[in-house]
Amino acid sequence: MPNSRQLESQRTKSDRRARLLANYRPLAGVHDELVSPDGDIRPQWHALLDEWTNLAPGELTRRTALADRHLSDSGVSYRIRDEVDLDDMLSGERSWPMSHMPLPISEDEWRTIEAGVAQRAGLLEAVLRDIYGPARLISEGALPAAAVTGSPDYLRPLHGAAVPGGQHLQMYACDLGRGPDGKWWVLGDRTQAPSGAGYALENRLAMARAFPDLYRALNVERLASFFQGFRAGLVSGARRADPRICLLTPGPLSESYFEQAYLARYLGFLLVEGGDLVMRNNLVHVRTIAGLKRADVIWRRVDGDFTDPLELNASSRLGVAGLLHAIRQESVVVANGPGSGVVESRALMSFLPKLSRKVLGQDLLLPNIATWWCGQPRERKTVMDRIDEMAIASAFRADIRDASDGEPLIMAEQGADARAEMIAAIQTRGVDFVGQEVVKISTMPVLRDDGTLEPRPFALRVYATATPDGWRVMPGGFCRTSDRLDARAVTMREGARSSDVWVLSEKPVDQVTLLPPPDQIQIRRVVGNLPSRVADNLFWLGRYLERAEGVLRLTRTLLGRMIDADSRMPGQQDAVKRLSGMLVAWGAAPGARAPAMRQAFAALHGLDHYGSAAACIREAKRTASVTRERLSVDAWRLVGDLTRRLERDTDDVPTEGEGYETADRALRDLAAFSGLAEENMNRGAGWRFLEIGRRVERAITTCRFARQFGDQAAPAEHLDVLLDLIDSQITYRSRYLVGLAFHPVIDMVLFDEYNPRSVAFQIARLDAEVAALPSVRDDGLMEMPRRLSLKLAADVATSRTDQVDRAFVLTIEQRLMGLSEAVASRYFLQSGVDAPSPKS
Amino acid sequence: MLYNIRHTTTYTYNSAVPFGRCVLRMFPRIEPGQTVMSSALSISPHATERRDSICFFGNRVASITIEKPHKALTVSVTSLVEVMQPGLVGLDVSQSWEVIRDEAADSVSLDPSSPVHFLFQSRLVPIEPTAVAYAMPSFPPGRTVLDGITDLMHRMKADFIYDPKATVVSTPLAQALENRRGVCQDFAHVMISGLRGLGLPAAYVSGYLRTIPPPGKKRLEGADATHAWVSVWCGHGMGWVGLDPTNDIFAENDHIVVARGRDYADVSPLDGVIVGSGGQSIDVKVDVEPLG
Repeated sequence: MPNSRQLESQRTKSDRRARLLANYRPLAGVHDELVSPDGDIRPQWHALLDEWTNLAPGELTRRTALADRHLSDSGVSYRIRDEVDLDDMLSGERSWPMSHMPLPISEDEWRTIEAGVAQRAGLLEAVLRDIYGPARLISEGALPAAAVTGSPDYLRPLHGAAVPGGQHLQMYACDLGRGPDGKWWVLGDRTQAPSGAGYALENRLAMARAFPDLYRALNVERLASFFQGFRAGLVSGARRADPRICLLTPGPLSESYFEQAYLARYLGFLLVEGGDLVMRNNLVHVRTIAGLKRADVIWRRVDGDFTDPLELNASSRLGVAGLLHAIRQESVVVANGPGSGVVESRALMSFLPKLSRKVLGQDLLLPNIATWWCGQPRERKTVMDRIDEMAIASAFRADIRDASDGEPLIMAEQGADARAEMIAAIQTRGVDFVGQEVVKISTMPVLRDDGTLEPRPFALRVYATATPDGWRVMPGGFCRTSDRLDARAVTMREGARSSDVWVLSEKPVDQVTLLPPPDQIQIRRVVGNLPSRVADNLFWLGRYLERAEGVLRLTRTLLGRMIDADSRMPGQQDAVKRLSGMLVAWGAAPGARAPAMRQAFAALHGLDHYGSAAACIREAKRTASVTRERLSVDAWRLVGDLTRRLERDTDDVPTEGEGYETADRALRDLAAFSGLAEENMNRGAGWRFLEIGRRVERAITTCRFARQFGDQAAPAEHLDVLLDLIDSQITYRSRYLVGLAFHPVIDMVLFDEYNPRSVAFQIARLDAEVAALPSVRDDGLMEMPRRLSLKLAADVATSRTDQVDRAFVLTIEQRLMGLSEAVASRYFLQSGVDAPSPKS
Repeated sequence: MLYNIRHTTTYTYNSAVPFGRCVLRMFPRIEPGQTVMSSALSISPHATERRDSICFFGNRVASITIEKPHKALTVSVTSLVEVMQPGLVGLDVSQSWEVIRDEAADSVSLDPSSPVHFLFQSRLVPIEPTAVAYAMPSFPPGRTVLDGITDLMHRMKADFIYDPKATVVSTPLAQALENRRGVCQDFAHVMISGLRGLGLPAAYVSGYLRTIPPPGKKRLEGADATHAWVSVWCGHGMGWVGLDPTNDIFAENDHIVVARGRDYADVSPLDGVIVGSGGQSIDVKVDVEPLG
């Protein structure tokens, strides 16, 4: 007999359950995942709701917040395509909305889905092979030729071409919805470059972290083996045993860039853009700082038509000139094959039931929603006769009348004019249209802010990958729930959320992880080669951060002098004038006539002044955002903090004290960034370029300070400013008890290798880092950047203060710029001719 | 008719370019009615790499790489070609345009000459509603396709003005149509868009016209440059029929075919990728000499 405490806990639980379901009203005429038509909770939900209601409300809030934090920390976000501004790398970015209620699916039901998806993947692969090969399905009349050629993804140059690796499809996805009859239907196929697998993985990690006990108790099937299979499939297609696999991204402005960066990191692939790749001797190579390195496999997220400007879309900057030729030569595996998008059209979908019987000798295990292609007289007539029950959609892609994004138009909802217009259009060019049954898909519970559940329509994207042992289906998927009750529009861009999908195994599941057993791990200290583009961006990240620091130091010193009581003294006034003159010369502030306070304000916050601290930080953030996968979450966050601190939307000029405070705090943020880079960043080539960028910029900035304030005849006020600018007041005073004098001050600024702010210190570090960069020369001679840095370091180390005048400092400054250019042309700008010859 | 053809393109760059890559489609096609006796390419500076291939549509393509700094690039092709087209016989045996439309959509072939490749919008030819509306009056119900396209060609000659200053290579066809002005490329694109909009397969043909007209005849427009016209699929029986809306004539023995495709993007004589900055100028010379 239960004791009273157990009874009470039972009562609390059933109370919580009642509260959770208080607002749950399934829609009429659609299937609901949670509640059966009789009002019973469906069996696959029992255990989940049980565990869920075990958690006290406060605990639940903590758990969901933990999941959200995991998502935001991992930098997983996506972009809204309509909000992307090509000049702004940060535009349209949204953090990832996750619904915390997973979708449980029983093992039995999942086996049906799994078999259906694998069957479909195999069928589409066979159809692709036929389309680009013998085209028998077409000549025998099973598939009209126009249902193929109407697709912009049908790539004619690949007709009859070899299929390196033997597969068109390495990764396939289909969107499923459950119809009112309780059966799963295929809503669409994704064969071009299916996205979302990374989001599915992220959702899983977030949920598993937030609800570990729940996740274990329900025997949720793991996702890792799917990705393992995917990688094994790519590796098996390559010609070399230890292939270099690249993920080809359209770049940071693409909707799913963060997913791509995330997957590249998770799978250990090199994330590259078209500009990183180049053809040499019919082989694809990656431009890295260590020269050209062969790319064996390219997992592309760039649409097929954009992959080769030489044979396909000539205006594309996203691909590699000559890629198709390399494919014909079978020297590179491209997954999915560039032409594979042709089978994701709605026109093609209408033939799949027939093709399945013809090609596989089987009916489709998962039917697709009934679709009629209007390019054929009989089907066109069916659509015309029943047009009010139909949705009309573009047969191949977007671009149908006023329907945005190719979303089907529900004819029953159209006015008489629109209807007549559509009928006329179908009669003239039926080939462009399909009629589809209007589908109502099922609803699942999502968690509202008040902690109760409500039903929302959803579509489930399921993935299959071609492994060496056949098709493997991801046990789970990417489930998107709509914000609205309209069960027909499901797209991320409309602000929908996503849910994790839990396949509930009957027995405890095997722990599969992508990590090999501990005793088989080979120790590696350096991973891969840094692409030249990434090196370039990290170098500039370093320069921009340091430039911002220079401006902040100038501004802080300027404001400090203005606050200072002695500011009326002639020496001080001259110093203030020189400080503001430098801000103007650096493009950080308006002309010399503007009041000093206005100038300081512009130098801190003025985004319209390209040299202002705010503008430099914005540039730093841009370069950081395109190499975000190389930076730690903390470093990325600090850049965000700096942006917020420096970007002000008001024109009110603050007081000197406030300005001083802002500059001071921003300098502290920058110091924190340096600390992170110094203490937490792996000393790989990436760190080295960040470091070189920062040292070059700091050395140049310090030379400029010295030229303004470090004259032989400089008054004490100037030398005082100079020590302020390089943060060396305390060191100086502890070393020299006398007042300020030219020789000791200038030694501290230029030559003192013990002072981490001196020019000599920067140059010594520069030389050490440049010396550690890879050499591609095979004659043992020094590379140009090293020749310059070594000589500069020696010259500075052996100079004396009595040689110093403005011209001397200017020469050092110019040699630093020369060094910077040499690093850039050797490691970043590898144009066609000066690129070192291929070495793999 | 036997022709000796010289086609020379010269790019001049304001500053030396270190690296160049280009794709050439300047060799006349070998096809029924047209025999190519010889066709030779010369390039200055010398190409580092040359690869010859035949593209999907059967055009001859040469890909050239130059890895030597150069301030000018000259590409020249000299060809000896014999054209002997049977020409259209007087009787119009084509079917109604609606039948042709259904026949095209029903095709069971992906061969390069299959009408299905020329039925849909392509890179430079969207299906422009204004172009379709313009073409429509030439196609009343039941009219034969040959009648329809001939009428459309006559109307275009009457309505459009040949004006090399009105458009550039990248001008959208909608603009040429609105202004009723342009050159052969624009007229071909307008006509193709209108025909495809009605469901009729139409291809883009690039090539040359004889420079010196036969005695007593007017010199044709576009004779001193590369020319472009349209080819329309008129059913399994008649096949493809070439017509030149710029000159209001059918393409027969005065037209030498270099390349066929969906629009200019498939057949442009010279596509280039250069590495370098600064401007460039281009000069094209075409000489088509009839040898009798």
